[in-house]
Amino acid sequence: MERDGGSLTTRAMSASGRAVAILVTPATAYVTLAFLLPVAVLIAGTFQPNGALSVSGYARFFSEPLYLEALWRTIRIGVVVTAICIALGYAMALAIVGAKASARGQLIGLTILPLMISPVARTYAWVVVLGHSGLLNGLLVALGLTDQPFRILFTEGAVYVGLVQLFLPLMVLPLVSALENLPADVISAARSLGAGWGTVFWRVLLPLTREGLVIGGTIVFNGTVTAYITPAVLGGTRHLTLATLLYQQVAVTDDLLSAGVAATILIAMSVAASMVLRRVAATRSRLS
Amino acid sequence: MRTLGRVVLGLIYLFLIGPFLVIIAAAFHGGDTLTFPPHNLSFRWIIAVIENDDFQSDFLLSVALAVAATFAALALGIPAAYALIRHRPRGAETIRGLLSSPVVVSGLVIGLALLHYVVVPLNLPVMVALFVAHTAILLPYAVRVVSASLANLRVDIEEAAVLLGASRLKMFRSIVLPNIRNGVLAAAILSFITSFNEVPASLFLTGPGVHTLPVEMMLSMELVYDPSIAALSTLLTVATLVIVFAAERLLGLSRYV
Repeated sequence: MERDGGSLTTRAMSASGRAVAILVTPATAYVTLAFLLPVAVLIAGTFQPNGALSVSGYARFFSEPLYLEALWRTIRIGVVVTAICIALGYAMALAIVGAKASARGQLIGLTILPLMISPVARTYAWVVVLGHSGLLNGLLVALGLTDQPFRILFTEGAVYVGLVQLFLPLMVLPLVSALENLPADVISAARSLGAGWGTVFWRVLLPLTREGLVIGGTIVFNGTVTAYITPAVLGGTRHLTLATLLYQQVAVTDDLLSAGVAATILIAMSVAASMVLRRVAATRSRLS
Repeated sequence: MRTLGRVVLGLIYLFLIGPFLVIIAAAFHGGDTLTFPPHNLSFRWIIAVIENDDFQSDFLLSVALAVAATFAALALGIPAAYALIRHRPRGAETIRGLLSSPVVVSGLVIGLALLHYVVVPLNLPVMVALFVAHTAILLPYAVRVVSASLANLRVDIEEAAVLLGASRLKMFRSIVLPNIRNGVLAAAILSFITSFNEVPASLFLTGPGVHTLPVEMMLSMELVYDPSIAALSTLLTVATLVIVFAAERLLGLSRYV
C-alpha cells in the first residue's frame, strides 16, 4: 500500500517534471541561443582582442577623453532624468490616486498613451517643438523675449526633455499602485496630528511607497542609460551617450572592440539596476 | 492646494501629450518645408506619404515582422508561463529571470551581438535576422502578461476537467485558453506595438534597401526637411490611438502594461 502510494507520487511528479520540461525548454533554449550566448560571446570577445586574454580594449576606452565624456554624460543623464521623473511622478501619482474613481481610469489611460506611440514619431515631435524655427522659439520671438532663436535642439537639455517625457509614465504606474495599497486616510491622519506637508512626504509617504519608488526608479534609470533614439535625434552628434557612441563605433568608425566595450559597460549598468530590483522583490516576498 | 494640484497635473499632461498634437498640426502644412504653426492647410503630405512606394513596402515589412514575431513569442511564452505558474518547478524564479532578461539589455547590444555571432556566420537573410531578434525582445512581455492573467485563474476547474477524463492538452485548449483569452490578446497587442515600434536592434540588422518603417523614418529624418516625416508620424500616432483606445475598452489594456 505504502509502496504503491510512493510510486504513484513519484510517477505523478516525474510526469509533471517532464511536462514542465516540455513546456519551458523551447522558451529557455530560444532565449539562450538567440540572446544570452551571442551577448556572452560579445562580452568575452572584449577581453581577448587579439586572441589572448587582455584588457587593452578597456585601457584604450578609459584613456580616450571622448569615450569617458560619453560615459559620464550617460550616468549624469540617467541620474538627472530619474530624479526629475521621481519628483513629477509623485505629483502625478498623488493627483491620480486622489481623483474620483471615474476620472482615475482616464488619467491612467492618458498616462500610458505616450508609451504606445512610435518613439520615432514622439522624438520627431520634439524636433518640431524645440527646433531652430520650432514652436518654442517661435513663441519666444513672438512674445518679444528674444530677438534670436535659442539653440535648444541638439543640446543635452533637449535630451533631458525627451527622456523625461518617455519615462515619466513608467515611474507613475508603480507609484500609483504603491499609493493605492496605502492604508486609507493615512495622509489625513498624519495631517490632523499636526504634520506639515513636508513631514507627511518624508516620514509617511516615502517610507510607505519605497517599493514602488525603487521599482520605478530602476526601470527609468536603466531605460535612460540604454536609450538610443532620443539622444541620437535630440542630442545630435556632439552630445554622445554610450548608446549613440556604440552605434557610431559600429556604423561609422567600424571600431568593433570599442563598441564591444561600450556594450559591456551598458550591460553592467543594466545588470546592476536589475539586481537592485531583485533585492526589492526578495524583501517583499520575505515580508508577505 | 487642490487648484494648484490640478494646474500642475494639467501642465504635466500637456508635456506628455502636447508634442503629439503639435506634430499632428504640422503634418497639415501645405508648404515645402516643415513649419509651425502650419499655414495653407492641406492633405498634400498625408497623401504623398500614403502613396510613397518605399514607405508602403517598409510598412508592409514592419507589419509582417510584427505579426510573425508576436506569434512566435506567444507560442514560446504561453506554455512557459503556464508551466511556471501551475507547476512551480524548482528554480522557477531563475527561469523567469532568464526569460525576461532581453528586456533589460539595450536593443543595440542585442542587434550587434546577433549580427556578428549569429546572422553573419549563418548567413541569415535580413527578414530572418529581424524575426529572430524581435521574437527574443517580445518574449519577456508575452511571459509577463500571460503569467499575470494565469495567476488569477482558479486551478480547481482544471483539476475537475482532468478528473472527468480530459487529456491535459484538451483541458488546456477548452478550459485554460478561453479563460486567459483577454490576457493573451493584451499580450499580442503589446507585442505587436513593441515590435512595430522597435528601432535599436533593427538598426544593425536591416540591410541595404530592406528597412522597417521606424528605421527608415530615423534614417530619412536627417535628409528630409519637408513635412513628410511629420505626416508619417501623424498616421502612426492616430493608428496607435485607435488600437489602444479599442483595446482599453474591450480588454482593459492598461491593467497589463
